[in-house]
Amino acid sequence: MDISPLLKMLVFPGGLTLIALGLLYEYIDRKLVARFQNRIGPRVLQPLADTIKLLAKEEVIPAGVIPLFFVSLPIIAMAGALTAGLYIPMAGFAPSFALPGDLIITVFLLGLLTICIGLAGANTGDRFSLLGATRTLTQLFSYEAPFLLALLCPAILADSWQISVVDQSVTGHVWLALPLFIGFFVAVIGLMGKLELAPFDAPEAESEIVAGALTEYSGRGLALFRLGKDVELVIGLTLVSAFYLGGLSNPLEFLLKTLGLLVVVAALQALFARLRIDQVVGLWWRLGALLALVQLLIVVILKGVIL
Amino acid sequence: MTGPHVEKFIVPIGPQHPALKEPAHFEFSVDGETVTSASVRFGYVHRGLEKGAENRNWAQALYLLERVCGICSHAHSTVYALGVERLAGVSAPPRAQAIRQILLELERIHSHMLWVGVAAHEAGYDTLFMYSWRDRETVMDILESFTGNRVNYSANVLGGVKYDLGPAQADSILSGLDYLEKRLHYYLNVVNNDESFLGRTRGVGTMTTEEAENLGAIGPVVRASGVHRDLRVDAPYLMYADFPVTMITATAGDLQARFVVRIQELFESTRNIRALVEHLPEGELSVRFPRKVRAGETVSRIEAPRGGLFYFIKSDGSENPFRVKVRTPSLRNFMSVIVGVVGHQLADVPMILAGIDPCFSCNDRTVIVHREGSDGSAPPSESDSRKDSSSWSKP
Amino acid sequence: MKIGSMLGEIFKSVFRKPATVQYPYGDRQPVPERLRGTVRYNPEKCTGCTLCMMDCPANAIEIVTIDKPNKRFIMRFHADRCTYCAQCVVNCRFKCIEMSNEEWERAALTREPFTVTYGRDEDIQKFLERTSLASPQEKP
Repeated sequence: MDISPLLKMLVFPGGLTLIALGLLYEYIDRKLVARFQNRIGPRVLQPLADTIKLLAKEEVIPAGVIPLFFVSLPIIAMAGALTAGLYIPMAGFAPSFALPGDLIITVFLLGLLTICIGLAGANTGDRFSLLGATRTLTQLFSYEAPFLLALLCPAILADSWQISVVDQSVTGHVWLALPLFIGFFVAVIGLMGKLELAPFDAPEAESEIVAGALTEYSGRGLALFRLGKDVELVIGLTLVSAFYLGGLSNPLEFLLKTLGLLVVVAALQALFARLRIDQVVGLWWRLGALLALVQLLIVVILKGVIL
Repeated sequence: MTGPHVEKFIVPIGPQHPALKEPAHFEFSVDGETVTSASVRFGYVHRGLEKGAENRNWAQALYLLERVCGICSHAHSTVYALGVERLAGVSAPPRAQAIRQILLELERIHSHMLWVGVAAHEAGYDTLFMYSWRDRETVMDILESFTGNRVNYSANVLGGVKYDLGPAQADSILSGLDYLEKRLHYYLNVVNNDESFLGRTRGVGTMTTEEAENLGAIGPVVRASGVHRDLRVDAPYLMYADFPVTMITATAGDLQARFVVRIQELFESTRNIRALVEHLPEGELSVRFPRKVRAGETVSRIEAPRGGLFYFIKSDGSENPFRVKVRTPSLRNFMSVIVGVVGHQLADVPMILAGIDPCFSCNDRTVIVHREGSDGSAPPSESDSRKDSSSWSKP
Repeated sequence: MKIGSMLGEIFKSVFRKPATVQYPYGDRQPVPERLRGTVRYNPEKCTGCTLCMMDCPANAIEIVTIDKPNKRFIMRFHADRCTYCAQCVVNCRFKCIEMSNEEWERAALTREPFTVTYGRDEDIQKFLERTSLASPQEKP
C-alpha cells in the first residue's frame, strides 16, 4: 500500500504541518498588531495554549439547536479548510494533489468554512448568533466575486485554472503585483474580508453582538472553528503571494513572501475603524467589483492583443 | 407576518455585555438591522448612598459621596463640600479654591481622554483606544504626584483642601500639559480626518438644537447641538469668575461634533490650568469647620465632565446630614439615546450610547412613583422612609 | 480626508519600547512621594482626643486607652476597612498619624495581618493581657 499520499495529507505538507503553521501565523499576526499599538502582545506558544485549553473544556450544547449540526459543523469547516491546503504550494513544495481547475475548488472550500460559520449561527437561534450569521453571509456575498476575479487575472495570463501551473508560470518573471497592481490591491483587501480581519470584522464585532455567530460555541467546537480560521489565514496568504508575488518555489521564498504580506495585512488591521455591514457591502459592490472588472478587462485585452 | 401583529425581534444589550462597561438593561426592537424602538432599565448598581449619607457625620459623608463615581469623583466631592460650606457660612480660602479648580480641570482631561478611547473602541478602532489611554497615563501620573492617588483623590476637606501645590508639582503639571497638548492636537486631527472613523461618526446620532432642548440633555452632548449651556460660564463658582473658560459649541449635533467639542474643551482646560498654576493666590489651605452645621437647605451645582451635577443638601442642625439628594448628568442624557436611536442601524447603537458618555454607577437612585388612586395604598410617609432599613422588612 | 491617518504613528511604534509596565517583574515605576499608603501611628504625642476615630468614614481606627492621666494610648487599625482618604492625618492636631509611601502592597492570604496594633511595646503588652484576662478563651 502506498502510504505516501496519506503522509502528504496528514503530516506534511498538509494536516499537522498546516495546523502548526496556522498557529505560528496567528501568533505573528497578533504580535505585529500589538507592536503597532505600542504594547507587548502574546508569547510564541499562546495560540497553542489557547487551543489546548479549549479542547480540554466541556462543550455545552444549548437547548433548541439541532445537536447533529451543532457538533458536526465545526468538523466540516475544519475539514474544508484542511482540504483546501492540498492544492496550493504549501511551504514552497509542489502541491500534494493537483487537477485542472483546482483554483475554483480551493476558493470554494475556503468559502465552505465561512458558510459553516453562518449555518452554525443560524442553527443556534439566539439573537446575537442570528445577527452574526446574517452578517457573515452578507459579507460572503460581497467580497467573494471581486476576490475570485482578482485571482483569475494571473490565471488568465497563465492560460490555466490550475494553481500549480499558474505558480510555475509566474516564477522567474517580474512580480505580477507591479503591472497588475489593481488586481493585487483587490486581492489583498479581499483576503482581509475573507478572513474577517479589521476593518471587515463586523460579523464578529465584539462590542455590538458579543461574538457573532460563534457566541454559543465552547470547547471543542470553538477550538475547531478557530483552527479553521488560522488555517484559512495561511492558505489565503499563500495563494495571494503565489499568484502576485512571483510564485513560491522553495521554503525560504515561501516564508519571506507570506510573512511580508502578513506585515502589510497586520498594518492594515491596525489602521482602520470597523466598517458597518452596509458600508462593507456598498464598498465592495461599488468599488471592489468595479476595480476587479477593470483589471479583468485590462488582462483580457493584454492577452488578446499583445501576448 | 400575519395581520397587524408585527414580529418584534428584540435584541437585549446588558446587563452583561462587552459593549457596556457597567450594567444596564437595554432592549432594542430591530427589523433586519434597523432599530424601531428602544427601552431601558437601570438599578443594577444601586448602593443606597443617599441613605448611607444620612447615617454618617458630615466629614464621613464627604468620602462616601466621593465614591458615587470613579471618573468624576472630585466633582462629587467638591459640589458636596461647596454646599455644606455654604450652609455653615464658611468660605474656603482662595488658594484652596484655586487648587480645587485645578483638580477639577485635570479630572476633566482625564475623563474626556478616557471617553475618546472608549468611544473609539466601540467603533472598532482599537489603535486610537490604545494610544489615547497611553497618553492618559500622563494625567494620572500628575494626579498621583499631586494628591497621592490616581482616582478618588480625596483632596477636599470641609473648609479647604489637603494638599498644597509646591514647585515640584507645578513643574510636573506644566511639563505634562505640554506633552498632552501635542497629543491632543494629533487626536483632533485623526478624529476630523480619518475616513474610516468619519464613516462611523459623521451623521450618526444627530440631534437638532430643538430636540436637544426638548429632551433635556446636558453637558457636551447638548453643546455639540448648538445649545449654549455650561455652568462654568452661566453660574461661575470657585475661581471661574477670575479665570474664565470659553464655552465650546458645535452645530452639527452628530457624534463627530461631540468628539470635537470634548477635545476642544480639553484645550480650554489646559489653558485654564496653566493660568491658575502661574497665578496661584497665596494663603492657607483650609479653615476650621464646625462639627454641627446650622439648619437649612441649599442647592449646589457644578459642571462635571459629563454635564451639570446637582446636589440638594438639607441640614437639621445635627452632626449628620438630614438629606442629600444627588442628580447626576448622565441620567438626563438617556432620553436622547432612547429617542435618537430609532431609525439607525444596530451597529450604530453602541456608538450612540457611548456618545453621551454614560456613567451608570452615577445613575442609580431610588424613585418612588405613586399614582393617585391606583391601588388604594398610600405612599410611604417621610418618617417611614427615614427609618433604618433593617426595620422595613419587619411585619 | 485621509485614509489611514495613524500610519506614521504605528510605524514608529514598532521601533519604540512598548508602553506596558510589567509589574511586578521588570523595572517598576518610581513611587511618588505623596502616595497614600497604609496608616502609621506615633504614640508619643497622642492625647487621646479620638478626633481621628470620629471622622473615619470606614470606622477603621480604634483608640484604646491604656492609662489616661499618663497619656498612654494604642491604636488598633483595621487595614481591610481603610479607604486611604487621609482624613485622620488632617484631623490630628499633633501630627501623630502619617500615611507611609512605602507600604502599599497590602495583599495577604489570611485575615490576621489586617488588624494592626500600633503603640509603645509595654502598652501593647498591657492591652493584650487585659483582653486575654477578660475572655480567657480568646486567642491573644
